Amino acid sequence: MSAQNGVAASASVPAGNIYDLGYRHYEGKRHGRWYAIWSLYVESMRGVWGLGRPMTAKAAPFILAGIYALPALFQLAFSAEISNEIASGQAPRLFAYDNYFATVSFFIVLFLVAQAPELVCRDQRYQVLPLYFTRALGRVDYAMAKLAALASALFIVLMVPMVALFIGGVLMKPDTLQAIGDELPTALPAIPTCALAAVSLASISLALSAFSPRRAYSAIGLIAYFLLMEIVPEVIFRVGDRAGWDWADKLVPLRPTTAISAATDWFFGKNLQGAEFPRTLGADAYVLAVLVSVVVFVGILVFRYRKVAA
Amino acid sequence: MLLVEATDLSKHYGQVKALDALDLQVEPGIIGLVGANGAGKSTLIKILLGVISPTSGSASVLGMDVVREAPEIRKVVGYMPEHDCLPPDVGATEFVSHMARISGLPRSAARERTAEVLRHVGLYEERYRQIGGYSTGMKQRVKLAQALVHDPKLLLLDEPTNGLDPAGRDEMLDLISRTGNEFGIAIVVASHLLGEIEQVCSFLLAIDAGRLLRAAPISAFTALTPVLAVEVEEGADRLAVALAGRGFKTRAEEACVLVALEDETIYDAVRDAVADLGLPLIRMEQERRRLEDLFRDPAPAAGSVQ
Repeated sequence: MSAQNGVAASASVPAGNIYDLGYRHYEGKRHGRWYAIWSLYVESMRGVWGLGRPMTAKAAPFILAGIYALPALFQLAFSAEISNEIASGQAPRLFAYDNYFATVSFFIVLFLVAQAPELVCRDQRYQVLPLYFTRALGRVDYAMAKLAALASALFIVLMVPMVALFIGGVLMKPDTLQAIGDELPTALPAIPTCALAAVSLASISLALSAFSPRRAYSAIGLIAYFLLMEIVPEVIFRVGDRAGWDWADKLVPLRPTTAISAATDWFFGKNLQGAEFPRTLGADAYVLAVLVSVVVFVGILVFRYRKVAA
Repeated sequence: MLLVEATDLSKHYGQVKALDALDLQVEPGIIGLVGANGAGKSTLIKILLGVISPTSGSASVLGMDVVREAPEIRKVVGYMPEHDCLPPDVGATEFVSHMARISGLPRSAARERTAEVLRHVGLYEERYRQIGGYSTGMKQRVKLAQALVHDPKLLLLDEPTNGLDPAGRDEMLDLISRTGNEFGIAIVVASHLLGEIEQVCSFLLAIDAGRLLRAAPISAFTALTPVLAVEVEEGADRLAVALAGRGFKTRAEEACVLVALEDETIYDAVRDAVADLGLPLIRMEQERRRLEDLFRDPAPAAGSVQ
């Protein structure tokens, strides 16, 4: 009887209390603002990929990034098959460093629509921002950490197929070391291209997403922007070409993904081909347009976070 | 060093004066900040955090100016907002340790402090579950934990008992009082509920419509008044008349008769009057000033019986 009572008594004490050492003050090291920015960057990177979140949060980024890389991975898988045909000049290479983005860019827009709102809407919707802004983090710091996180994530997404193409290109040749030496110079411009594309697309989508605390509205806004800005300048250019408007061609670099495709050609030292590019504009005009759009959208993003309620 | 100091502090939103020429000097302790909704409590807290800047005047926290030294202040201050501020799709451990790192704690220290602080606020196994599934009481604990995780010198708590049931409220108040008294962390707790403030605070700031109504130790608010309350089960009006007939100033208030306590003879007079009328006497006690009077009377004349 008494033993039972003893068991009951000890069971009723919360287990945590036994080890409760009381409150201890923290005397250790405290980092400053840059560490706070870095911490937010790391956390946001994890957030883009859904790490530390439930499985459902991981599905969208990994599937969409996978779809973007899929054509390159296919080409890699069948590189042995097609290498003979390519070598004998019977088949052109389907996907190369310089045309991959132009062909598959639709899926990168899907990735942005899914993940950019995730990064910035959550903190507004659940009012987490005041907790950041009452710590070491400034408003601009916050915006820049988020931008860096999305740009880094995008850079990874964009680079995976490039790496796959590189491996495929190397494996097609019998002497691997020799092949790496041959392939590298043609592959290297992919790095600055992907970096520019990542920063440009990240700044556009983050700046637009930040205007609504609702993920759905931000996503719709992004889809509307990428669709309209691709189609409207194109239509005006086509109409203007016939009607003889000499300013209509200047609008074409406003097309967000087309401008990046053209900038890719600039990095690879190619001339612009295709009916969608006006003859009046060189590839450098598109590089300039992309750079200007980065400045404009980073400006919009900073402006938004200066004003956002906290 | 003064905990909070303000001189001629004002914050205007257009025509609205959220704070109007506030002068404050507050020593460390558990400070209650009371006022009705919209009295300016949250505005004052946000100015002290340096989130919004005052229209005019100046303020300092722990000797640091809120405008010029806001980054330094934020390092040593923890803030628990009035509203929800927790993302639903992460666990409490993950969220609080993230906030610890944003406050500058290295990764391992952040993890250690998070475990400690969550245990302190009374979250055990559930701390790994997603916050979205927590009850309001648990969410309030997480909010307190994130404010406490970097071991601040001052905690600013905005309506910490919001939305809690009576049991949860008592636990939260107990937590606040332990944090303030045992850990030596100064606390400013804003609330519109006087009863709560009374339980935990040592010093009280009462503000109303952006103006400082009163700033004093809590004991000054609840001091004895020169009024004797006599409670009878019935016949309070008859007793009042009888006592008035004996030359005392009286006022009947529901089942109570309030008598001005001028000298000791009053006790005998009450005894005789009650005995003469044959009334069932319940209680006879010197009145304490009540906190509510602060807001009821613009200028509370000390215990006068009109």
